[in-house]
Amino acid sequence: MTAVVTAEPPGAPASARLVTVRLARGWVSGRVDRRAVVVTLGLVAATAGVFVWSLAVGDYPVPVGRVVGTLLGDDTGGDGFIVRSIRLPRGITALEVGAAFGLSGAVFQRLVRNPLASPDVVGINSGAALVACWVVIIAHGSTAQVAGGAIAGATAAALALYLLAYRRGVSSYRIVLVGIGLTAILTALTNYLFTQAAIYEAQRAFLWLTGSLNGRGWDHVRPVSIALVVLVPVTLGLSRQLRLLEMGDDLSRALGGRVDATRGALLVSGALLAATGTAAAGPVAFVALAAPQIARRLVGGRTLALVPAAVCGALLLVAADLVGRRLLAPTELPVGVVTGVVGAPYLLYLLARSNRLGSGG
Amino acid sequence: MTEDASASLRAEGVTLGYDGIDIVHGLDVAIPDGRITVIVGANACGKSTLLRGLARLLRPRGGVVLLDGQAISRLPTREVATRLGILPQQPIAPDGITVAELVARGRHPHQRWFRQWSTDDEVAVEAALIATGVSALAGRTVDELSGGQRQRVWIALALAQGTPLLLLDEPTTYLDIAHQVEVLDLLARLNEEDGRTIVLVLHDLNLACRYADRLIAMRAGCVAAEGAPADVVTPELVADVFDLECHVMPDPLTGTPLVLPVPARRRSSTERNPCLETTTPLAVHA
Repeated sequence: MTAVVTAEPPGAPASARLVTVRLARGWVSGRVDRRAVVVTLGLVAATAGVFVWSLAVGDYPVPVGRVVGTLLGDDTGGDGFIVRSIRLPRGITALEVGAAFGLSGAVFQRLVRNPLASPDVVGINSGAALVACWVVIIAHGSTAQVAGGAIAGATAAALALYLLAYRRGVSSYRIVLVGIGLTAILTALTNYLFTQAAIYEAQRAFLWLTGSLNGRGWDHVRPVSIALVVLVPVTLGLSRQLRLLEMGDDLSRALGGRVDATRGALLVSGALLAATGTAAAGPVAFVALAAPQIARRLVGGRTLALVPAAVCGALLLVAADLVGRRLLAPTELPVGVVTGVVGAPYLLYLLARSNRLGSGG
Repeated sequence: MTEDASASLRAEGVTLGYDGIDIVHGLDVAIPDGRITVIVGANACGKSTLLRGLARLLRPRGGVVLLDGQAISRLPTREVATRLGILPQQPIAPDGITVAELVARGRHPHQRWFRQWSTDDEVAVEAALIATGVSALAGRTVDELSGGQRQRVWIALALAQGTPLLLLDEPTTYLDIAHQVEVLDLLARLNEEDGRTIVLVLHDLNLACRYADRLIAMRAGCVAAEGAPADVVTPELVADVFDLECHVMPDPLTGTPLVLPVPARRRSSTERNPCLETTTPLAVHA
């Protein structure tokens, strides 16, 4: 088996970034964007760095060398417990939740062709929030039940979105309009629940709504990992169909795309990814919105790639949680507060910029 | 061209419409292989609806569209996409995509998840870029192109798909006269050189007469006339299809029919065409 890797001729500047790969006498082939690969690897390295750093710092600092040592199984001293049982599951949850939000946001933004569309804008997270708050305030449920409620709520909201926006197929702008309406209704209902809440429940529900990674242990990591092992490959597997869908329903069908099935499947997988993240950490603001757009600009302002968006989401959340833990130490800020403070100006920037361009680009 | 020329694409008694309203009623149409067929008609007569039906973008409410003798709606969508290409009226170019990347997307029906850029793909895209004269633009983003260039890029995408049948819905809309002729010349050349079957929806009747081997004139969801332009384009037909008074003379350049609409202020003063006085709607309704 010989691998043939050729760079495109330098005559075509933008295509020069594409590298052709052919294996097994051309039976297997593909093209990769060199810059996207480099950027993604850079993001992975940065994420790994911040991740290890977040395991090292805290009220009980552990030298980075010792962190790596304990991760590799060195059990001498008391550092092992702190790193492996307390900080590691929290860090992994942050990575997973961030990746889930980043990927979900990229799917929604490409599906709807609008950088403002993300699960937090079109009502998915509001659905999760409503049911989760109901579980806390009215049903006095356990943490696991709250997570289950969040998933049920997000799924129901996605279903409602699809059905309400359905009219001879599902058009993109209807998803945004219906989604904004849905968000308004669900938020109003959540607010009503709070007026009925006792003070302890209200506080608990509100902390959940802000989004927090405090006290996440291995019990949280396991279900999120299982969900991602299923959802990430399914979503990435649909990316070729998504590429067709971007050119409009007619051309997509003309090129052999399965339009309605693909859009339905992507809505479901995007919603479930957001639901998974929300169930584990609450509706953390702005990650799903910002991660795909930041990744896109890093990759070079071209297509919205899914994998860089997921890695970028993971980096954002790990970094935000680290900042939240250390900025006002020993007081800890919920991660949602940090992403909100950083994300709100970013949203304004995005709005101002797309206004100036006169389009949603 | 004879009536029984072979036709891989045909509609039999096909009824098409949207939201419970029929727009095309029980139509029979055969698209002759290796020719250019042009569909003309007034706005909202069902031209685009018929084209969408022929390309299985719209499922018929009645009747059947046959591709090589098989019902097109029962064939796998990817298989249809290797035999029939259609360029819809308003395709969307994803933000920031380059010409070469967009044209490469036309190769989708030939690709698999493990084989996304074969030598065939590379050759087909290269050839499509050259045939449409956009090779020099390959690295530019589609947003920065002019209307005429963009239309050629979309045609390149349809060419890269490599289908023997190519359907285009108003490919000359929004283009100035020079670019309209450029696009039609390109299609005529593709038809001549590769023997591709081409079906077009066009608004300009005179250009349609110049480029069509076969004209399908539609009125209110039915075929009003069908045949070589020289045989079917008459003042009566134009009056019937477009509700327009006109003279028809041979085009001094090509000899094809040239339709000259009569302006309103000349209608009373000029001698009326005797044919118009005795107009009876042409009895070719399907």
